[in-house]
Amino acid sequence: MIYPPPLNLVQFSFLAISEQYLSILTQTPIRLINYRFRYRSPPPFREIDDLSTAIESSPILFPCHFRAVFVNFDPNSYTADQLSISVQAHMAKFAAKNSPACGTCASNVTVSVTLDSNSNCISNGNNVDWKCGALNEFKFAEKHEDGLLDEDFASLLDNNSGAKVYTVVAVKTEQEEVRAVVGKYRHAWIMGRIFEEEAIEKIAEIFVNVFMNGGKEEGLIHGEFMPLGADGRIVLSFNLLNADPHNWIYDWDFQEIDENLLSPVIDALKPLADVSVESQVLYHTPKSSFSFWDDRLDSYIFSTKDLPFFVNSNEWHLDTSVAAGGLSKILQFVVYVPSAKECPLQLQLPNGEISTTNGFISPMWGGIVVWNPSACLTDSKIKHPLRYKISSEDSRKLFEVFMGQLRQLFGLKSDGLFVGASGTSILLASERGFSEWELDVLSRQHSCFNLLQCGTTLGSLSRLVQSLPRMIIMDDIGKQVKYSLEAARLTLSNALLGIYDASAESSRQARLLAEDAFYHPSMMSVSYYSFEHCFAVYSPFFLPVSLHVLLAVLREWKRYKQESKKYYAWKAK
Amino acid sequence: MGIWGSLFLLFLILISAYQSFAKEGSAEELNEEFTEGLLLRPLADRKVLAHFHFQSSVPPTRTYGRHHHLFPKSIYQLIKKFRVREMELSFTQGRWNYERWGGYDPISSSNAKPPGVELWAIFDVPLDQVDASWKNLTHALSGLFCASINFLEHSTSYSAPQWSFRSFTGKLRYGTLPREAVCTENLTPWLKLLPCRDKAGISALMDRPSIYRGYYHSQRLHFTSDEYDTAKSNSGIMLEQTLTVVLQPNTLGARAMVSGKTLQPSWSLSSLFGRKVHGKCSVSKSSNVYVQFEQNLVSELKEVWKESEESERGILTHNNFWTNPIFEMSASPHRIVKEVGNLQQEDSSILYEFSVEDFNDSEPFDLGLKWKLPVAWSCQQAPLRASRFLMGSGNERGAIAISLKSSRNNNTQRVGCSENGSQLRIDIFQVVPWYVKVYYHTLKVFVDGELQSTMENIEKMHISSSEDKVSPGVMEMILRLPCGVKTAALTLEFDKGFLHIDEYPPDANQGFDIPSAVVSFTDFQASIGFEDNFLNKLPILNELQERKHVICYTEVLLVPLTTPDFSMPYNVITITCTVFALYFGSLLNALRRRVGEEERLLKSKAAKKRGPLTSILSKLFAKLTGRPIKPPETQSASPSSINYKVIVKVILVAGMAVGWQYYFR
Repeated sequence: MIYPPPLNLVQFSFLAISEQYLSILTQTPIRLINYRFRYRSPPPFREIDDLSTAIESSPILFPCHFRAVFVNFDPNSYTADQLSISVQAHMAKFAAKNSPACGTCASNVTVSVTLDSNSNCISNGNNVDWKCGALNEFKFAEKHEDGLLDEDFASLLDNNSGAKVYTVVAVKTEQEEVRAVVGKYRHAWIMGRIFEEEAIEKIAEIFVNVFMNGGKEEGLIHGEFMPLGADGRIVLSFNLLNADPHNWIYDWDFQEIDENLLSPVIDALKPLADVSVESQVLYHTPKSSFSFWDDRLDSYIFSTKDLPFFVNSNEWHLDTSVAAGGLSKILQFVVYVPSAKECPLQLQLPNGEISTTNGFISPMWGGIVVWNPSACLTDSKIKHPLRYKISSEDSRKLFEVFMGQLRQLFGLKSDGLFVGASGTSILLASERGFSEWELDVLSRQHSCFNLLQCGTTLGSLSRLVQSLPRMIIMDDIGKQVKYSLEAARLTLSNALLGIYDASAESSRQARLLAEDAFYHPSMMSVSYYSFEHCFAVYSPFFLPVSLHVLLAVLREWKRYKQESKKYYAWKAK
Repeated sequence: MGIWGSLFLLFLILISAYQSFAKEGSAEELNEEFTEGLLLRPLADRKVLAHFHFQSSVPPTRTYGRHHHLFPKSIYQLIKKFRVREMELSFTQGRWNYERWGGYDPISSSNAKPPGVELWAIFDVPLDQVDASWKNLTHALSGLFCASINFLEHSTSYSAPQWSFRSFTGKLRYGTLPREAVCTENLTPWLKLLPCRDKAGISALMDRPSIYRGYYHSQRLHFTSDEYDTAKSNSGIMLEQTLTVVLQPNTLGARAMVSGKTLQPSWSLSSLFGRKVHGKCSVSKSSNVYVQFEQNLVSELKEVWKESEESERGILTHNNFWTNPIFEMSASPHRIVKEVGNLQQEDSSILYEFSVEDFNDSEPFDLGLKWKLPVAWSCQQAPLRASRFLMGSGNERGAIAISLKSSRNNNTQRVGCSENGSQLRIDIFQVVPWYVKVYYHTLKVFVDGELQSTMENIEKMHISSSEDKVSPGVMEMILRLPCGVKTAALTLEFDKGFLHIDEYPPDANQGFDIPSAVVSFTDFQASIGFEDNFLNKLPILNELQERKHVICYTEVLLVPLTTPDFSMPYNVITITCTVFALYFGSLLNALRRRVGEEERLLKSKAAKKRGPLTSILSKLFAKLTGRPIKPPETQSASPSSINYKVIVKVILVAGMAVGWQYYFR
């Protein structure tokens, strides 16, 4: 009697043991490796996730305080409270048009209104220190100079309380023309024969679109791409490029520009960024694309579609070494002096017109201005090139273009006009480059995007650490993450209180710490144990063993088939 | 009244003259300058030395400002960031042949560099920050020049010489990388520091294939800065960039022979470099090409001239000299500059100056030198020729020997000795990596083959012995040798150390380099003085005139160290695994076997077909063993005994497994 062979007990136990044996052989080194590669101080994953969800779900919004002053309006038609409510209603209408961007004002906007007429002076709100009747001394007809008026308003509105209040003064005069001007400080004024409803709408628009959003329009650089380094520093690198020094050599006195024109701008930007300046003159730096001669315009034309090929990175050695730049953002400003072969070189706008500034910007990189020498058309067959110096007048013009480009790089308007739904407003340019309300807008945006960046950096760090469980995390990194989180929390609380400078500062710190943690040298050299390595080490064992096992299985299978055949033959019998 | 009036007038004149002078002086001072120059020199062994020299200078930031017009921004940033007072970086390929190319002239002293990278820097920071500054500087430079200078960061690879290398103390760091390969990727960033790069001027000659084809190629960058000096009189930053190449002129076909002697090869700029000079770099202040005839060559030329034609002396400075019967130059020099101050010899070297300013694209400058008569000369040698070699064999110990041989030309030596009594002073500076453990007590000095007591000949010695994996061994010494010495040798014994497996570089079997030792003869000045004071303003001639010690570098030594079998861990793994696999396989086989069944099968098989071959074999086997032929057993061993054996085996394996587990816990 032949039965199909049962798996006998001995074999079974053997398999169990061999499995255990194998597991010992294979797992011991892995266990050791696990022990070695475990992170020492796990970053606070929960808190990081909380932060990033908090930032991403709702953009940071700052509280803003506005004040509207109506001068010479009829005090009987509206009360101050009514005016305040209707201004807020209009503001809500304007704000609804564009979704609340990061760094704008929250819903807790306060609008206080003062009605100043000849007879009486009514205000609502608590913190109003408008000197009633002060404007009556002014003879508006005599003062047409906007700059002087701006200073007068500044002295009138000078409040020492420290809170940042944006003011619009609406003055009803006999003038036919209605002028709306935004000053260099935190105020604007509307003047002319204007009615209440009109004034309210205009005031609300200035509040929302200028003071809150910085007068931005479609097509300008989005605030997210603010050219600021992780450490909150900017290097402005000015370059004068002589395309072909065989024709002429231009030099400049940049020391003078730096001292006279640039230093006030740097001072103005101090709360926002630490700016350093460097300059160089380069020679033999042709652009990398060709221009064509246009008879009508009597100059060489470089069209907009070729602009990406203007910068010749092979020949333009604009680079600043990391030793000097560090983590800071480097903005290149280039003056390109064309060679005699293409001398009056003009940039053409897409609509066929010639660019008035003869320059263009590249976001996050910098700006380029083509400067045509006045000696362009004279005979260039001089044996020895002549050395010139760009006159201080020309360099002032160049600098003005650069200032406009810098403002554009920061996402601000450079033409000094704001065209809104209710008419055009003039934006007064500050000699410091940036007016105070613009700096407020920038610092609000800066802290907001810093915080966003910090959140994404920390989030990706935690994701990286979680995806590589064997990675070492040094104590330093854990500490940096902790401090970064603390700074981020501080930013949020400062933002709620409306302290723009402090929140910008702490947000910068949060981002810097987060970046430092992410780019820590020990993180860069992530030495994790690859699984292929394990396979390579153990394959000399597993290959022969698997051969034996396979052979044994084959034999058993063969025998089983034979025996079962016999069994069935016997059964059939 | 008249006297007073005239006096007053004089006073006014004086004041105005002084003011105008001061103005001129300040205007001259407050400018960045760039000059370029090229020196060509025929060498005695039918080669040509080409020495490019570029210099940029900046007045101090305090008076001039920090915005630059010609000076490279990156170098200024380096100086500013790391507060470097002086730095020299050189990339060299090939070895300067001191015997054939000279060892006593300014170019060999300052531009003959050890192969690979040599970097030294003096910092202007507090002593405890010097090392940190050095580390950062090496990283910045390696980024700037696309080279692995950052390997000099480790404390094992740099040293702080006390007095022998430079006279500064404390804040100097010195490091070399003998094995660094030098190529165009190092030259391009170096050229980027020049205002015209290689687009115009003399640097346009730097055709990469031609200059890297040479026998010797050394690119050097040297700057001095006194930006951080507290002293009031400072001269700003001076950046000097030189490229020294030794090229073999193309001699087409067979060597030209005249009266049984081979003619020196004729060359021109276009045949040497494959390019011509199309005018000067527009921003350079001066742009000259010089051809230098060495002192020995000049005297030889005079000899030949005398032989061929009895003519007046001083032909070489004669107006029509470039069409003389010995050689011919394709262009007429602007000026001829003669060396002065070389009192001990009647002949002095001559420089022919050519200015490239007046040349342009349509009429490029291509200087050629054509020899008409054979001339042979030898170059000037350093007082002693230094070489270094290894002694001993095996992987355990060895010895370093530095040998100094008197050169054939004894003139120079006599001069130095007469100035300094009867002793010849030699400074030696040597850095040895830590894995070559030098026993400094075994230092032996041999003079003319005889062992001398060390104290007699060594005037001063400073040794900082190496510390394992921390710092290299540094030896600095001043040697005094008698004047008439023929040969001298220093030997030092060493043991070879062992490195950790991680510390071996790739291709460890090639051996390890000991950087070149620096041998300087401080009694001898390598400088060529020129007659014209006006020449002081030309930096390339200034470099020749600068009074420097005669310096030479010895060879790089290649020490073979014991290298482990890097594949050993994998071999061990493979062997162990194979053993385990064998054991496992046999065990598996044994367990799987059903002995009774197999025997039955065999028996039935045997019964079925017992072929003639098998029966013969079994008979043979039986005869050999002397046992009768047994019919196959009908009954196999009892199953209980099999089970017993199997269980023992299983227990054995389990025991081993348990033991393994506990042992490795």
